[in-house]
Amino acid sequence: MPARRMTFVEALVEGIREEMRRDPNVFVLGQDIGPFGGSLRSTLGLWEEFGPARIFDTPISESAAAGLCIGAALEGLRPILDISFGEFLPSAMPQLVLHAPVVHWLTLGKARVPLTIRTKVGEGPYGGHPQCFEAWFAHVPGLKVVMPSTPADAKGLMKSAIRDDDPVLFFEHMYLYHGVRDMVPDGEHLVPIGRADVKRPGKDVTVAATAWMVHRALQAAHQFAAEGVEVEVLDLRTLAPLDVAGLLASVRKTGRLVVAHEAWKIGGLGAEVAATVAEQGFGYLKAPVVRVGAPHTPVPAHPTIRRAFLPDAQDVTNAVRAVLKYSA
Amino acid sequence: MIEDPKQGLAMHRWMVLSRALDEACCQESAHWFPSRGEEAVPVGTFYGLRPDDVCAPGDRGSPIVFVMRGVALTQVWPGALGKRTGFGRGRHFSFTAPIELRVLPYIAGDLGPIISQATGTAFAQKYRKSDAVTAVSFGDGTSNRGDFHEAVNLGAAWRLPIVYVIQNNHWAISMPLEKATAAKRLADRAIGYGIPGVAVDGNDVLAVHAAVQEAVRRARAGHGPTLIEAETFRMRGHIAADTASYRSAAQVEEWQGRDPIRRLEERLLAAGVLSAEEAQAVWAEAAQEVGEAKAAAQRHPDILPTDLGLDEIFSTPLGGA
Ligand SMILES: Cc1ncc(C[n+]2csc(CCOP(=O)(O)OP(=O)(O)O)c2C)c(N)n1
Ligand SMILES: [Mg+2]
Repeated sequence: MPARRMTFVEALVEGIREEMRRDPNVFVLGQDIGPFGGSLRSTLGLWEEFGPARIFDTPISESAAAGLCIGAALEGLRPILDISFGEFLPSAMPQLVLHAPVVHWLTLGKARVPLTIRTKVGEGPYGGHPQCFEAWFAHVPGLKVVMPSTPADAKGLMKSAIRDDDPVLFFEHMYLYHGVRDMVPDGEHLVPIGRADVKRPGKDVTVAATAWMVHRALQAAHQFAAEGVEVEVLDLRTLAPLDVAGLLASVRKTGRLVVAHEAWKIGGLGAEVAATVAEQGFGYLKAPVVRVGAPHTPVPAHPTIRRAFLPDAQDVTNAVRAVLKYSA
Repeated sequence: MIEDPKQGLAMHRWMVLSRALDEACCQESAHWFPSRGEEAVPVGTFYGLRPDDVCAPGDRGSPIVFVMRGVALTQVWPGALGKRTGFGRGRHFSFTAPIELRVLPYIAGDLGPIISQATGTAFAQKYRKSDAVTAVSFGDGTSNRGDFHEAVNLGAAWRLPIVYVIQNNHWAISMPLEKATAAKRLADRAIGYGIPGVAVDGNDVLAVHAAVQEAVRRARAGHGPTLIEAETFRMRGHIAADTASYRSAAQVEEWQGRDPIRRLEERLLAAGVLSAEEAQAVWAEAAQEVGEAKAAAQRHPDILPTDLGLDEIFSTPLGGA
């Protein structure tokens, strides 16, 4: 398949653009997504191509916008809701956790909510709105939660999310937005929801990671290679429902697991990953599972304490060393 | 004078049926939300809408709207009785109607979100350039939620084809309206959204219907939403088991004389459109219909543990569309 180099956000927009061309029922709504082009250029170029019939700038009303999407979806449309930043998700919580996810089940499959909610999270170039709340949403039955780490996955998962008949919450990491550039297949490139991806194979330790932590894990894996330690980097990509089979296959091979995410460690997604492996893959483990996540403080503003707060490649390295200490 | 006798008779019948159904539901469940005395609001609001219009009735008095949309009484009861044949097969806490009838389900138990969802069906109607409209009703208490503000503001800003109806029954469980807001009239809130606000006697079904139909005409013509406040009264407790000891008997008594069904009946009798015997027959038939439908539903199969639907959470299977 022919491919082009592009940034993470360019890949996201390409996925949206292709799906909008393909299906007139797909539309985008959110704040400052029209002529302004979206915060951090999240919708750049869509207004120019699709205009006011398909691109809707909303007032600051996250909850109404989310509810509007549910109603529009019940009438057969396929909304893409751009919630500027993950920090604003709590403003739309009832619609996102109580309503959108249950419709299909509640109506015995007669009604569905093909809604894609995209939002930006994590440490970004300006440091604003960094909170990572993905674990809250992974907790709720009926929501699909994805969080890609590469431009190709960003496009492929976005296209799958828009075609999916269920609500999909799409977390876009702000550092990756303009910070990674890579080859992205042209046209019909679909990444399945519900499948993790081995970003670097290895036989000694699995690091299951999300978003930017995938890149930090790759960095750590590169350093370990020099010591003769093979780290497998498993990009979870879909956080709910978890790819349990993919996770177990990796741990079965390596026998050691580190889980790394930027969100708080306590009650984070890593806890679910670790518990799943403890329940279903205990026999594969040669060492305890170690989690890497943020300490339990609110996200600080000043760069000095922000750096102290954020998990980094060194934290991954330390965790890998900790699990390597155990020998089978 | 009754302008349209056929319409008056039809709404009379629906209100009587609504009351009979409500009484039976109160007997069936202590947790039922009684709608006695408020029948004119759901009936007047949702009567006469087109099949492609969307109805989002508030929980109190909603079953009659389902029946008006075409759900048979025999299909309403299984849900209330916990039978497998109910539309929600035991997954839903209240009654619901099939989505094909364009009745929005009360998806969850929290009040408010449906106002935005109804704004969304109106959005879809406009997106598709159809002249269908959406009507949504909700309580006075619910109109104090942020959902109301965000939804009505958005619907107004985008001139969506929707009618927002506040079923003001003066109470939200034990909270009287005058303690919940300093506003004298809830319809006045419309000013803040730049849309018409209409206060209407919510115990006069013909008045409710006329006000809603006027708003529907505006919406169909592309002039956007209207906010209607229909003033009525919750004659019973919040739920069937609630004795409502927190309010004065005098207030209830005052409203007793304004019963919406009796008021319409008197007008129909005075206009010579309905005879006393015919009126009696309407009541008797309603009670019989409700009783028979309930008895029939009681023979339906019960919910099974497997109806939990573990594999029915998602529409699109994992691993790709
Ligand atoms: C968000 C939310 N808060 C509180 C409740 C609990 N509750 C259920 S019904 C009710 C009263 C609602 O009053 P109103 O909107 O006036 O409707 P009415 O009961 O009078 O028909 C309350 C407080 C709820 N269901 N949802
Ligand atoms: Mg009330």
